[in-house]
Amino acid sequence: MSVMSQEPRVGAASEPAASPAAETPTTATPPASPAVPAGTPLALQVESVRRVYKAKSGAVTALAGVDLEVQAGELFGLLGPNGAGKTTLIKILTTLLAPTSGTAKVFGFDVEHETKRIRRIMNMVAGGEQSGYGILTVREQLWMFSQFYGMSSADGWKRSEALLDRVGLGEKKHQRVSTLSTGERQKMNLARGLMNDPWILFLDEPTLGLDVEAARSLRELMLEWRAAVPGRTILLTTHYMAEADELCDRIAIVHKGRILAIGTSAELKRRVQRESIFRVELDRLEGGVGSIAHLPGVVKATTAATDGGQAERQNVAINLVLEDDAALGAVVGALGTHGSRILGLQKSEPTLEDVFVELVGRGFEDEDEPEEHVDDPEAST
Amino acid sequence: MAVTAASVTAGGRRPGAIGGSPGEGGSRLGGIARAFWTSVRIGWRMEANWTDPLLFFIYSVAKPVSAALILVVMLSIVAGPAAANLRPFVVIGTALWSLVTSGISGLAWSILDDRERYRMLKYIYVSPADFVVVLLGRGVARLGVGAAGTIITIVIGILVLGVPFDLGRIDWPVLVLATLFGLTSVVALALLLAAICLQTRQESWSYPEAFAGAAFLVSGAVFPLTVLPAPVQVLGLVTPLGWWIEAARRAFLPDAPSGIGGAGSYLASINGGAVPSAAECLLALIVTGAVATLAAAVVFRFSVRRAQERGLLDLTTGS
Repeated sequence: MSVMSQEPRVGAASEPAASPAAETPTTATPPASPAVPAGTPLALQVESVRRVYKAKSGAVTALAGVDLEVQAGELFGLLGPNGAGKTTLIKILTTLLAPTSGTAKVFGFDVEHETKRIRRIMNMVAGGEQSGYGILTVREQLWMFSQFYGMSSADGWKRSEALLDRVGLGEKKHQRVSTLSTGERQKMNLARGLMNDPWILFLDEPTLGLDVEAARSLRELMLEWRAAVPGRTILLTTHYMAEADELCDRIAIVHKGRILAIGTSAELKRRVQRESIFRVELDRLEGGVGSIAHLPGVVKATTAATDGGQAERQNVAINLVLEDDAALGAVVGALGTHGSRILGLQKSEPTLEDVFVELVGRGFEDEDEPEEHVDDPEAST
Repeated sequence: MAVTAASVTAGGRRPGAIGGSPGEGGSRLGGIARAFWTSVRIGWRMEANWTDPLLFFIYSVAKPVSAALILVVMLSIVAGPAAANLRPFVVIGTALWSLVTSGISGLAWSILDDRERYRMLKYIYVSPADFVVVLLGRGVARLGVGAAGTIITIVIGILVLGVPFDLGRIDWPVLVLATLFGLTSVVALALLLAAICLQTRQESWSYPEAFAGAAFLVSGAVFPLTVLPAPVQVLGLVTPLGWWIEAARRAFLPDAPSGIGGAGSYLASINGGAVPSAAECLLALIVTGAVATLAAAVVFRFSVRRAQERGLLDLTTGS
């Protein structure tokens, strides 16, 4: 049994939690995965959480009343630009920061009054920082945390080495932390985050600043860890939309301290694309696009430019806007009747960036807010 | 290497089990001891492992020894033949002050180091380990460096400066009690400074040294309080450091000059001019030390709560 899959309590693998449609911001959560033990409380329950920082320039609202529920076993993503409030929410949930108002619970434990219990069942890893005691070796650094989590010294060494092997740092365990690359240091931090075998892992921009290979490796590790035991939960903040799209069961889009929308990636994308859009490439089309524009379920059919060389330019490409995917069958049948041969069919998908633009009115890159809020010590003294 | 649930437990609870009670992670005392000794060990590695042992030894002892020698030379010039009587006074004060400076700065620098340089304070804070226990462990490592300086200064005092220490005449019970309560007081003051540094920016690196510098004047370590104005002497009398050093002096050399009492001192106007006995010094140390410890505990608790409310636990000022 590997260090990633210690003694699962029920079932063998965690299924991504199903989710109801979420057209508007909501606290509704999907039903718990059948693999999660019955009676397991919500992994996260956040109600009306506000966080206001004091600054010389005045009060800065980092969270403006956040409501959120995350089921045990989910990989939940907080997607938003810098300064959206993602990190502030993670800090509150990990007991590092107190909310100005509202309540938040982690597996039923209150973040303000049951901090000791929460700290036993969660861990956190932040990206984009060079954290670690450079003078210690990699295994010493991990062992230190094993002791803070109450393990015996011998078990701490064993678990440190097992985790380092698992994240691919086994050969570097005797090296000083200061000699690790950014990607290696982040893998070490992930190993530290898994030291106490948490029920919930908070990952704050874990792949920030990593190269493609290191980021992919880290994503694989977190997915493997979660899948090994039903109920293991991950809250991931990211401003990489592809990462959220690829990894998360559900995503909350956060902007200026508010959750604007929650849902699966597909549900969120449906917010901006209520029709189905296809590009169809044919060898010929008798009667032109007008011959299919009148078919049931077809909203619009237009001719599109064809790509490629001279041979491809003989073909016909059309853009089809359908009421829904079901209308595609009638279109394909009609094309066959007209003697057209379908050479290519591609569905056009909106991206999460499109969803963000639809919700906010501008893209991620247009944001220029500060990355992190903190009370100004001088302002507060 | 495969690790099984049977061989490794995560914080005293069954690994992998989601839901139910998170457990307590074994006995509370065991957890405290484990976190403390881990911090001591890690702290020592960080204190001592940045250079080779010889260079570290020189670094650890050069400062207190040179300070003692400078003061002895100054005394010889100023006081002439009478300086011989003051040598034990200066050597003991300087030796113990090595513990004060290292002890006071240890906790505060741990806060600043871990928060701003290593970026680890937040991970330690959100672990189940008792935050103050971890800090104290780190502080002990630095106190160890100071203790090395203390011992070496006393040895040099005996061998080089001819300070007449007689092991048979040392009042060991007083010395042990004074050391115990004195170090407790140093740690309490260190906790107080750590609480302050938790609220401030990176520039607060210098706060412990500034505090130690000010306390040096009013503790009778090298300058008897009688040379200071009465209001400043009062400051010295209400802090435990002066009483600790005075009690240690009485234990080592009952006839040594007093740093805080005697003719012309403010204390003399209260107690009629008598040099305080070892027992009186111990009693005053216990009282002032208890007040300092209580105040430090309250202030530190308040400071941590305030830091959590204001988001200062992972503050990086980058300056």
